[in-house]
Amino acid sequence: MKTLIKNSFWALIFSTSVGMLMLSCAEDYLEKSPKAVLTQDSFFQTAEHAEQAVNAIYSHLRSFNVHVFSYIGVTDIASDDAEKGSVPGDAAFLEDINNFTHDANNTASAGIWGGYYQGVFRANQVIENVPNIDMDASLRDRLLGEARFLRAYFYFFLVRTYGDVPIIERPLNPEEYQQTRNPTEEVYNFIIADLEFAMDNLPSKSEYDAEDLGRATSGAAQGFLAKVNLFQDDYQGAYDNAVAVINSNEYALYPDYLGIFRQEGEHSSESLFEVSAVALEQGGGGHQFNQVQGIRGDPNNGWGFNSPSDDLEAAYEEGDPRKDATIIYNGETLPSGEVVEADPNMGADAKFNRKAHLPQMPSIGFQNSGANIRILRYADILLIAAEAANELGNPDVALDYLNLVRERARQGNPEILPNVTVTNQNELRTAIWHERRVELAMEQQRYFDLVRQGRAQEVFSELGITWVPGKHEVFPLPQSEIDISGGTLEQNPGYN
Amino acid sequence: MRSILRKGRGELSVVPRYLIRLPLFLIAVLLVFSLPSHAQQTTVTGTVTDPDGETIPGVNILESGTDNGTVTDLDGVYSLTTASPEAILVFSFVGFESQEIPLEGRTTLDVILGEDTQSLDEVVVVGYGIQRKSDVTGSISAIKSEEISRLPTPNVTQSLQGRVSGVQVTSGSGAPGSGTTIRIRGVGTLNNANPLFVVDGMLLDDIDFINPNDVESIEVLKDASATAIYGSRGANGVIIVTTKQGTFDKEMTINVDAYTGVQNVANRIDLVNARQFAQLANELNQNVGIEPDYDVNEFGEGTDWQDLIFHSAPISNVNIGAQGGSANTNYNFSVNYFNQAGVVKESEFERLTVRLNNQYQASDAVNFGHNLSFIYFKRQDEPSGIVGTAYRTYPTFDPRNEDGSYIDTSPVGNPAAQLEYNINNDHNSYRAVGNFFGEVNFLENFTFRSNLGFDYAFLDNKSFTPEYYVSPTQQNVNNSINVSNNRTQNWLWENTVNYEQEWDRHRLTLLGGYTSQNFYYEELSGERLSLPGEDPALWYLNAGEETSQTNNNLARDWSMTSILFRVNYTFNEKYLLTATYRRDGSSRFGSERRYGDFPSIALGWRLIEEGFMQDQNTVSNLKIRGSYGVIGNDKIDEYEGIPIVTGNENAVFGANESLIYGATITELANPFIQWEETVTSNIGFEFGLLEERLTGELDYYYRRTNDILVEVPIPAYVGSANNPVINAASVENTGLDLSLNWRDQKGNFGYNVGIVGSTVNNKVLDLGRGEEAIIGGAVGISNLFGSRTIVGESIGHYYGYKTLGVFQNQSQIDNSPTRGPEEPGDLIFQDTDGNGTVNSNDRVILGSPIPDYIFGFNVGFNFRGIDLRADFNGTYGNEIYNAKRQVRFNTYNFETVFLDRWTGEGTSDSEPRVTNGGHNYEVSDRFIEDGSYLRLRNIQLGYSFSNLAINNFEFSNLRLCLSGTNVFTLTDYSGYTPEIGGGNLLGTGYDNSVYPIARTFNIGVTANF
Repeated sequence: MKTLIKNSFWALIFSTSVGMLMLSCAEDYLEKSPKAVLTQDSFFQTAEHAEQAVNAIYSHLRSFNVHVFSYIGVTDIASDDAEKGSVPGDAAFLEDINNFTHDANNTASAGIWGGYYQGVFRANQVIENVPNIDMDASLRDRLLGEARFLRAYFYFFLVRTYGDVPIIERPLNPEEYQQTRNPTEEVYNFIIADLEFAMDNLPSKSEYDAEDLGRATSGAAQGFLAKVNLFQDDYQGAYDNAVAVINSNEYALYPDYLGIFRQEGEHSSESLFEVSAVALEQGGGGHQFNQVQGIRGDPNNGWGFNSPSDDLEAAYEEGDPRKDATIIYNGETLPSGEVVEADPNMGADAKFNRKAHLPQMPSIGFQNSGANIRILRYADILLIAAEAANELGNPDVALDYLNLVRERARQGNPEILPNVTVTNQNELRTAIWHERRVELAMEQQRYFDLVRQGRAQEVFSELGITWVPGKHEVFPLPQSEIDISGGTLEQNPGYN
Repeated sequence: MRSILRKGRGELSVVPRYLIRLPLFLIAVLLVFSLPSHAQQTTVTGTVTDPDGETIPGVNILESGTDNGTVTDLDGVYSLTTASPEAILVFSFVGFESQEIPLEGRTTLDVILGEDTQSLDEVVVVGYGIQRKSDVTGSISAIKSEEISRLPTPNVTQSLQGRVSGVQVTSGSGAPGSGTTIRIRGVGTLNNANPLFVVDGMLLDDIDFINPNDVESIEVLKDASATAIYGSRGANGVIIVTTKQGTFDKEMTINVDAYTGVQNVANRIDLVNARQFAQLANELNQNVGIEPDYDVNEFGEGTDWQDLIFHSAPISNVNIGAQGGSANTNYNFSVNYFNQAGVVKESEFERLTVRLNNQYQASDAVNFGHNLSFIYFKRQDEPSGIVGTAYRTYPTFDPRNEDGSYIDTSPVGNPAAQLEYNINNDHNSYRAVGNFFGEVNFLENFTFRSNLGFDYAFLDNKSFTPEYYVSPTQQNVNNSINVSNNRTQNWLWENTVNYEQEWDRHRLTLLGGYTSQNFYYEELSGERLSLPGEDPALWYLNAGEETSQTNNNLARDWSMTSILFRVNYTFNEKYLLTATYRRDGSSRFGSERRYGDFPSIALGWRLIEEGFMQDQNTVSNLKIRGSYGVIGNDKIDEYEGIPIVTGNENAVFGANESLIYGATITELANPFIQWEETVTSNIGFEFGLLEERLTGELDYYYRRTNDILVEVPIPAYVGSANNPVINAASVENTGLDLSLNWRDQKGNFGYNVGIVGSTVNNKVLDLGRGEEAIIGGAVGISNLFGSRTIVGESIGHYYGYKTLGVFQNQSQIDNSPTRGPEEPGDLIFQDTDGNGTVNSNDRVILGSPIPDYIFGFNVGFNFRGIDLRADFNGTYGNEIYNAKRQVRFNTYNFETVFLDRWTGEGTSDSEPRVTNGGHNYEVSDRFIEDGSYLRLRNIQLGYSFSNLAINNFEFSNLRLCLSGTNVFTLTDYSGYTPEIGGGNLLGTGYDNSVYPIARTFNIGVTANF
């Protein structure tokens, strides 16, 4: 028995110690990583990685849930500028948005939420990891500036679409998945901080090498800052930033209004920021922004969504060339000689967005558009400056900027679009708002402007649409998001 | 048949065909010359008693080497006339030790038979060792070599079918060389439910490579007491294969096993003939408002394309083995060649296996050895999907035009053309699996064992598609060559120390060990188009156009390291204790969950040893055992816990709009990912009655698997493009496993009956996503899914509309709940919620692919060298989704059930009017059939000659047999076979034109020298 105990003891000691010894040196042995791909651990090690990760944020700007279908829904189709378009019943969720009958299960509102937060996730990875990379400091600062500019851009769209949203400032760990919504004010402050950082760290448009054309610039950051200020009714900020952009001499109005939206107008003198795209045989550089709005019928360029409304058509002043530059009418002859024959189910008076029209089919097909998606242009800045100046009591300054826009719109025809001369603040405000509408029509500005200007209810009631104050200023959070949160996220009022 | 032996890349076959038949021929010749020899006869009498002097009636007495024998009468007395006074008599009786006694001229011989303690000392292979069967506390079923090599199949797992309780084996396909799906005690995961395989200590994912003739035994470990020693790999059960070993100090014995046979498709699907087709197709047109296509009178029987693709196919196998050993070396050497053509033309499989097991006794304390197997196989697959094509092609077409060209059989491809153009695929596998081991005994009771196992596999595939044109949808514009290689390297090093001690009434065994395993897989493939010709000499990538090339190369790997302990303790032969513990570290587990602990404990009580059991003769064995333990399923993706970088997220920059490479992390991974954890309880009874004539085991188990991997939605604001997989779902399985065996010998007549039966009750407890279901089982049209997994029900049950008949007229439609718009002749779907309209909320559970009962039984007889054996197996209570009937993208051929269709009021209330797709093709019970079956799995009639001498050539045993496999199947299922396996667990049991499982008849011979 004694031997037994002794032997058992030795057996135990022996096998335990061997086992423990083996296990303790097993840590490396158990490290295996996926083959033929980089992993989180092997990425963000070099300057190249940093650039690639920033490029991947830009890449996301061409994705379906950022600048394609839901995007035109919550901006143009929601507004008085556009009808849903396409044929009845197709993408009914956009019709719901058009009529303000949408609920928390609306596809567009879910699409935007997911799409823009995925953009934030990409930006956050750069912002979190690139500072630790041993690399050229000026390049690093520029890349961080680009990432923060893009993050601000995503949040600016989110805050205008949903109001209060969770601020996610770095990639979350699983235990941090439950978040609450931050008040709109905090979100704006977060956006401003990012834009100011970007403004300080990004080169101006002229300072970039030609090969970097399309990257975020200090001018773009400041231009957005002006716009963010305007959306917060911070007229002084808006004015200062807009005027700084104007005085930077980096930008000028492009002479040909329609040309802005054609191949020739890509990255024109007027462009502060646009999403670069290219239609290649192998694909990979295109998007569907133009396809979803393209002529449906003959020529068959697309799906025919985002159809300019009769109300928009009526808003143009007599002879304003911008009307024809914005609207394609059924039956008209295109410059190519083709006669537009809209899908009969769209009705005889079907209209299409000419600003998104592609005169030629891109390589592969219309799903591979290489047209840049215009996001912020100089005319917008001039109108922000004008609006802010008027609010600050400087009608003369406001008129100068406003009339610059009208002058270009005139396209050299002195018979049309006379200079605005009113100096009464209210009248001038109305004139500026009108100018914003027709100048930027179908450019995904209008709905946010209507809400900002506090006149959505008034505008929609004239169109026979019930727009509920206290509810429709923002869109609903996706219902799935509310469900998953288990109570930490509250739905916007009226959407429960 | 175009044999792969003769065609291909000019290679010689492994074994010439005549060699396969040679052993059969030789044996037949030898038999012709065999003549029994006579000598001087002697009659011997005597009495047989037990050690207490009680006479034993019914003892079997046999003259050794002959079929001459008798039994003792009620007084234990016998009388037997033998061929010679020097004959040897063999006395045997159930529960007693057999004795062989030479007569040496005696005419009176009284014999005392000792009670058989052998059955107590019978051993069972367990993880990392062997154990006396009497000491086992876990639920382990074993089957022995003779059961395993009985079936004409290269796959040993098929021999488990209907033989082991709690185990469901499904052949998902009858294609030569295809594997099986094995489920032990239900389905305890939503992911990979395959068991772990252990071959001579090497842990593997499959045993398809094993030559059935090499197997000594297969043990199936079912409960936690048995499987927990395999820790994170034990949760789906463990199947241990032990190969045959040589014996020290034994002369060489040679055995030859050979069979050859023919396979056929047992039943055809009833399809309409050309005339009936024309009528149905016209009616279909009429139902959708277009002109009829056919003049019915033009057609007669037409073509049954099944006749064209199926044929009778040969199957044969030769195994030659040699076993023996000297004082310090033993060996088992075998060579096996198997060749099978499939019942679908152009599918073929051949395999050559060589095994060498050696053991060397270096000294009293040291021995070492190896078990090595080398496998080569070559497989050609039938044209992809041809069984389904033959099912769909119109009977109105002939295969060929008069000029010999193939007829365009659109909209379905011409199966005859497929059999010419889509068959040039070769799969060659080279594999070595085995282990090297060394053992050292020290300090009397200790044994140290080090075992290095390995599996090195190389698979080389090549396929060539010629340029051809049959129709616009059946053509290949450029010929193409596709080559792929993949290799697997898998090694396992295990070091264990075993301690055994017996004292007084105690018996103690301790085991401790450390193991580590490493797995690596890599594949490389390429394709090119436009080779300058079709000669096999050109079937290499370099012959194709460089500009057309594509290539692919990837790899994956994993590693594990573990420590393990086990205690076995037996007190007084009555009370048994087993406790095990394993700690596994695995590279597959997330960085935050690298190690898992897997303990188990089990107790046993051998009531038969208790005093109160001693005064009776009815019960010869009785044991109760219970176990509880925690085990895991590590079969998760290798890198599930590691976020990877997505490339080609490119930006566009620059005046000339260049695509600039971008990459980032777009999807999250879960660093907390871990094994799925199963907690199993088992209570079992083992009993033997009537001196072990009747033996049986009954087990009840409860298995609950937690932490099953499932995608659980996370908030979208996290920004991930995916929902990472997390350990969130739970499933339970409960059931009974029963096995009963009756075995008896009446003189020369011996017989046995065996029954195994199991119940499975499967239920999902949690999916980590509330009430939301997981949908599976895509049926291929309009995003329809036939399977659903939801809390409270079984995994992957069928879910759809319940039909209530056929609408007979418009007024019935107007007065019934409808989906809208139905027409007369359409199916009536049940309005389950009674809200007056039929929509997706009205779908109900329509069945489950998991059987309620799995069973098998066998009967065997032997009489004077003749043996007859029949094995049956089946399932009860499972359903099959007959998906091939549902998928109609176009008009396809019709099954004859369409002849009973609705054609007007009162014509049918079960089979709707003829349509393609639409209402009648929604997921409904129209496509769900009872999958229960009873099959005569195998019947075998054999005759054995003992000690046969032919021209001085002595056989110690020679057996000839006739065998039939899958002879008949009783089932209501309308397809080729009710065995439908494979597929994702969330959508399984779908018959998308399965390769039929063949009926085989063969003759075989076994000879031992």
